[in-house]
Amino acid sequence: MNPRKPYVRPISKTSWFMTQGRYKVYMLHEISSLFVAIYTAILIIGLVRLGEGEAAWQGWLDAVTSPIGVIFHLIAFVFALIHTTSWFKAVPQAMRIQRGEEIVPGKLIVGAHYGVLAAVSLFVLILAGVA
Amino acid sequence: MSERTIELEVLRYRPEQDQEPFFQTYKVPCEEEWVVLDALNYVKEEMDRTLSYRWSCHMFVCGSCGMMIDGEPKLACKAFLKDYPTGKIRVEPLSNFPIERDLVVVLDDFVEKLESVKPYIIPKEERTVEQGEYLQTPAQLKAFKQYTLCINCLCCYAVCPQYGLDESFVGPAALALAHRYNMDSRDLGRAARDDVVAAAEGIWHCSFVGACSQVCPKDVDPAGAIQQAKFAHGIDYLTSFLPGGKR
Ligand code: SF4
Ligand code: SF4
Ligand code: FES
Repeated sequence: MNPRKPYVRPISKTSWFMTQGRYKVYMLHEISSLFVAIYTAILIIGLVRLGEGEAAWQGWLDAVTSPIGVIFHLIAFVFALIHTTSWFKAVPQAMRIQRGEEIVPGKLIVGAHYGVLAAVSLFVLILAGVA
Repeated sequence: MSERTIELEVLRYRPEQDQEPFFQTYKVPCEEEWVVLDALNYVKEEMDRTLSYRWSCHMFVCGSCGMMIDGEPKLACKAFLKDYPTGKIRVEPLSNFPIERDLVVVLDDFVEKLESVKPYIIPKEERTVEQGEYLQTPAQLKAFKQYTLCINCLCCYAVCPQYGLDESFVGPAALALAHRYNMDSRDLGRAARDDVVAAAEGIWHCSFVGACSQVCPKDVDPAGAIQQAKFAHGIDYLTSFLPGGKR
């Protein structure tokens, strides 16, 4: 008789991500992408409405500036921040840049990302006449 | 040298008599500078000869003592008791692997995966002894050196949720090793490895949770290796549309 009898420990398919802090952080990142996607969809609808004329555009504007619209955008903004910071933190792992015998330090790559983000944001704010 | 009694809660499983694993607590008189492995060795030598676990080097090179220590996959020879001030430590076999006995897990699945990625140099050109050695610059070495440091301790598999949910996933260490050879200037085996590496169960199964790299005791960064491999395949795919691209 084979004396081996390996024991397999059960894993929950539906709540595994609650078992460790690092899985929760990962899930937060994944969920945040949902909000970024919805935000983007609303923006695209806005563009379509703009093309449809004054009344359509005004309707869209009213919707996004209504209390529900504002609350959604505040929440989406928080999730966008979470999404951005968690992505930028991981970038050096996926983007390994070698110069001669040296690997470019991760901090530099992350810093460059924040630099570009700041520049683009400033440009957009100036365009919008806010800054 | 000061002594401290540590309560070691060890998950035990004896296939010939147990239906399922259970915790057994040992009160171990430990010296301050000990690691968890020393405490296990004390149990084995002085308290309970039936306890089974793997170890060999006691200096983080052999990779055989990976286990869950207070829920984190660690090398037992690198887990210092002074980092566990409560004096209570829970020791379990590596998660995501079947338990063979006590702290010993079944490694067959990993060994098969390791073989499947062809972890050896498939040379660009066959050279005879007379032609001399394959030359490599320090910069070429740097490109893959980090990924050679893996000691197959499997801590990364124990924390990878994708492997836990679906063991068909090739997994972090094997994919990192495939990347190690793909990045080697002497190697031309990438296409041969792609059957496994670029399959759905390969790099694309990884969702970049990054947990593997957080626990790796050798800073191999398997998560990074996998994302770089994805990036390389993405570029291949895009350039295949260019004139002269191979499709
Ligand atoms: S990649 Fe790191 S954690 Fe995984 S087997 Fe190798 S040394 Fe261990
Ligand atoms: S990054 Fe990929 S391989 Fe590493 S733990 Fe996450 S899913 Fe697993
Ligand atoms: S005993 Fe060799 S790595 Fe721990």
